[in-house]
Amino acid sequence: MNLLRAILLLIIFITPVKANTIYNIIKIPNLEIYEINTKNKLKYFYATAPFRLGIQKNIVCSNPNKKDLEIKYQTIYKNLSRYSYDYLKKINLKYIVMCENLSISELYTAGIPDNVMKTLILDIKFNEDYFERVIHHEVFHMIYLQYREIFNDKEWIEFNNTNFEYAKCSTCTKNIGLEKYLKTKGFFTEYSKSTASEDMAEVYSHMIYLEKNEIDQIRKLDPILNNKISYIKSRIKQIDSSFTF
Amino acid sequence: MIKKIKASTLEKVIFIFLILLGIVTFTSYIVIKNECLFIKDYNKPNNINFKNPNNIAILSAPCGNVIIELYPEISPNGVERIKTLIRSNAYENIAFHRVIKNKLIQAGDLEFGKKGSLDYGKIGTGKSGLGTIKSEIDNNFNYTKGSVGLARTFKNDTEDSQFFIILQDEPLFEGEYTPVGKVLYGLEILKKIKDQRHSEYILRPDFINSFKMLNQ
Repeated sequence: MNLLRAILLLIIFITPVKANTIYNIIKIPNLEIYEINTKNKLKYFYATAPFRLGIQKNIVCSNPNKKDLEIKYQTIYKNLSRYSYDYLKKINLKYIVMCENLSISELYTAGIPDNVMKTLILDIKFNEDYFERVIHHEVFHMIYLQYREIFNDKEWIEFNNTNFEYAKCSTCTKNIGLEKYLKTKGFFTEYSKSTASEDMAEVYSHMIYLEKNEIDQIRKLDPILNNKISYIKSRIKQIDSSFTF
Repeated sequence: MIKKIKASTLEKVIFIFLILLGIVTFTSYIVIKNECLFIKDYNKPNNINFKNPNNIAILSAPCGNVIIELYPEISPNGVERIKTLIRSNAYENIAFHRVIKNKLIQAGDLEFGKKGSLDYGKIGTGKSGLGTIKSEIDNNFNYTKGSVGLARTFKNDTEDSQFFIILQDEPLFEGEYTPVGKVLYGLEILKKIKDQRHSEYILRPDFINSFKMLNQ
């Protein structure tokens, strides 16, 4: 027992002093402030050196070069500025981490949301063609994690044709295309078909990204997507009645 | 017959040098030992005119008094909690258990931070017995040097009795921690609170002598 106490004390008192405030708040090392004085109070950080995260250190990201960062920050800032402080507070998003070549278990990804730490990590080198829309896709994942009780996968699956089945997980399929279908048939993209939550995120991101008349047109022509859009709209209204797409 | 031996100049110089060395050693011993020697102590807060005397709290630390103004208009529940604990003398003999040199000091663990019954294994996790309160982080507040906030766990709405005072500006604390006030006088007193070189948690820490409201 005494030995145990001694070991415990030793662990406590050799804890290194990590005076880095960013690390203390969001538990990601090697970050520096990029911009913190924003209208909606989002705080932007960037990686100054590669970092690894997670219990198995399976989340990896590198530091971006300054020029890429300057360009991509403008895009990220523009897209996230459409969210009000109140909305962000409700969905528990406060910190944006910008880095390069973000991967989880060696699979590249556009973003990793962490609603507990109020943080969204974004890969600024992610596919240029879909980068802007994907920002909102990742925002939806924050919402989904924060409001797990109001987004019901079973209800969602029922919108699809009875013979359709999602993949077992978002990384269990090779069909990960992000290009919008010309004829939607219940799904905006190939990636929508991976899992219910990815499908929801694709619907949400298109609702944000596309023009209103384009969405209206899709709703008229595609009854499945019409139901899905209504579902997302009503759930988001439940979270923040003042939010408009 | 005893011959009178005159001291040579060199011997005189050595003698004077030894005397000077003795004086320097003696005074430096006193100065080094007394770390509070050149710290201004605000030991008569009643002589200072305050705008809101009802919101002034006096924290007595090892090197003197720290005068804190509480901001009930920013965090009514947080300030009410602090005032309740101050009025019941709950903070007396409670350790400054977490100190990051020139950055932050934290105290207020009423359960495991009490002098005489300090529990190093659990310090920082203790409760007041009054329950937790909701975070008040929506109002604008600049976390500049000397700001006082309520500590919490990783989750919001877990504030209780522990508080921290920052010794440098921390803009990222805004919207993260419930602010309860600001140090008006005595920041240099807080800088003298015992820290540990390689650890945030302190072995044989300093303690709060008393924490009282000015009008108490």
